[in-house]
Amino acid sequence: MKVVNLLAVVEAEKCKGCRTCERVCPVLAIKVVNRKAVVDAARCRGCAACEQRCPDYAITMAKRDEPVVVAVSTEGLDYAQVVDLCRRARLHPEQIVCYCTATRAEEVAAAILRGARSPEEVSFMTGARTGCKVECIQPILRLLEAAGVTPAPPKGGWQWYGRTPTVWEIPEGVKQKYTGRGFYFDEDIKLLNRVIEAPLQGGSDS
Amino acid sequence: MRPPIPPIPPRKSQYGIDPSLVKKRVCELPGMTSVLLKDLFPDLPEVIYPGGEGVAAVRRATEEALRKVDMSRIKPEHSVNILASHHGFTLLGGEPYAEMLKTIKDVVEARTGCKNIRLRAGVGLRFRETEEYIKRFGLDEYFHGKAAGVAPIDEGIPIETEIGTLYGIKKVYDADWIIHAHNSDVREVHFHRQVDRAVKPFGMSYARIETRSTYHQNLGPRAANFTARAIFDSPFVQSKFAFACFLMVAPNGIMGVDADNDLYALNDRVTYLGCRYYGKMMTLFGEIDECIVALDFPCPVVYVFSAGVIYANFAGANTDLYDLDNPLPGYTWYTEAFYGKRGRPLLDDVPPLNPAIKMCVHNYAWTGYPSAFFSEHIPTVVVGWEQAELFNRDPQNLNYMKHAVVAETTEAAMEFAYKVTGTRKVLIFDGAIGGINLSEPLAEFLLKKAPAVSERVENELLPKWLRQRGVDLSHLKQ
Repeated sequence: MKVVNLLAVVEAEKCKGCRTCERVCPVLAIKVVNRKAVVDAARCRGCAACEQRCPDYAITMAKRDEPVVVAVSTEGLDYAQVVDLCRRARLHPEQIVCYCTATRAEEVAAAILRGARSPEEVSFMTGARTGCKVECIQPILRLLEAAGVTPAPPKGGWQWYGRTPTVWEIPEGVKQKYTGRGFYFDEDIKLLNRVIEAPLQGGSDS
Repeated sequence: MRPPIPPIPPRKSQYGIDPSLVKKRVCELPGMTSVLLKDLFPDLPEVIYPGGEGVAAVRRATEEALRKVDMSRIKPEHSVNILASHHGFTLLGGEPYAEMLKTIKDVVEARTGCKNIRLRAGVGLRFRETEEYIKRFGLDEYFHGKAAGVAPIDEGIPIETEIGTLYGIKKVYDADWIIHAHNSDVREVHFHRQVDRAVKPFGMSYARIETRSTYHQNLGPRAANFTARAIFDSPFVQSKFAFACFLMVAPNGIMGVDADNDLYALNDRVTYLGCRYYGKMMTLFGEIDECIVALDFPCPVVYVFSAGVIYANFAGANTDLYDLDNPLPGYTWYTEAFYGKRGRPLLDDVPPLNPAIKMCVHNYAWTGYPSAFFSEHIPTVVVGWEQAELFNRDPQNLNYMKHAVVAETTEAAMEFAYKVTGTRKVLIFDGAIGGINLSEPLAEFLLKKAPAVSERVENELLPKWLRQRGVDLSHLKQ
């Protein structure tokens, strides 16, 4: 869940149409049209990626008059399916996957079960990956993959490139090679497995 | 008791309130004093900075360290990227690190005849932070317009590693050679646990979001540190790596500069020094039984400094952050992730945030790092509505003020903290150089505890910490 209280605003006279904003927007809310960036206010999740990377300082973040709450509820879904999807992605359903918005794995799973087919759609629906824009791409990709979805990165974009290895996939040879250097691969696998199997606490999403 | 040490002044930045709004520093309040780190731990090293020579000492140390480095593969017609990270600019005001970067450029140019030398400065989660430092320290001019801040959402490139494909920032690697210009300051020991500290930027400030998310979400709290090694060891990075040059930092200042063509040799030295010197400070802070924490430094909440220790480390100082047999400190992102919907950890053995912290007075700290976990679990008073509003406009901190209260002045915030907590022990994270600003009762407490901590670290903890990391002390001495 995220309360979207900011909106990207383009100063047209400063914009040179370089498309950097387009390439970094995690929800595809900004596009260059006729050599000027244009924001789709209804899609913008206020993450400021465009504002932070615009080489011409042509974008500012304005406070919205009416904040928009974006959230995907698990209500109405078969919660067993939510749990199953999270665990196939090797995540606990209540595990936080986006530290900025405190989005839990179950909400991303719910978005996927409700039809999200890409990280961009997940971010648009849940607000995840619209805070720091950095740390939560992998659990989102893992959950999509666990649901049998193979998304393609936005064409020409820099939003994301691919899923990367998890600790369960580290080759045994690598573990052996670096034993004694403090990486504790197998011990961390045990820890993460315990988390995945931990009981649900339940309670409200807030 | 000594008077307080002048704290690092507020700094103009888009991530913090205007410096004019910081009306009072916590160390200026009645009852505050300072302790010199050398009075706590007399065996801390002598430092070259701060000192009478200023940054000239850093320049000389850099030139000296680079004499032993082989630069013969860099040819006049080549291009070189000096890789920097934001963190260095937060150390002792930033001038020492900026001076080291300038000196590396000068020495490489003089030794190799190469003129195409660029600066690529990576960031954490504040994508324009190094742009600000490049301007502040005149690095753009110094590098003839070839200094650029790079961010993890910039265009990337795949890097094939022995654990699979990871991703780096394209601009970091767009030269024939790269020079890894970093520092040994411990900073995020809750994440890196002093494992491959010297290698970490390859998996972090030089890396794309996919790689950084691998570190913080895919591998686990200790195995995560393999991410950087995987990238650094890749044939691609090895084909470009020229050498590393590090500002060597202790809690009390800059010890010197170290450089090496062998990053792992340098890494072992960094591990030893980090465990020994910062390990003592961290262990001493872990002895504190109760206190009010005051944040008063131009950095995000987690990164404010006291004696080289950041608030995020103190928030986990109730466990031994260096003991790798402890899987989770009280604060890391893995720990935060493992809190369920009722606000309790999913596993019983997840340690809490340091219960010694009775209240946090947020006098001055920046946005740009997700910090709501702290205000949610530690009673927090933010000074000034402007600062509160800044956090409410930060996409990474929209929940921070949900759990914090606002006081109009520093004095009012501290009075509230004294009344509510009942303690007079105050630890100030304001970057005081060479010492700690704190209240008198806490100063007395730390001075009393330090000798026993020093002995325990030397005789019991340090040998264990080095053993866990595979660092052979006898080899290091050679």
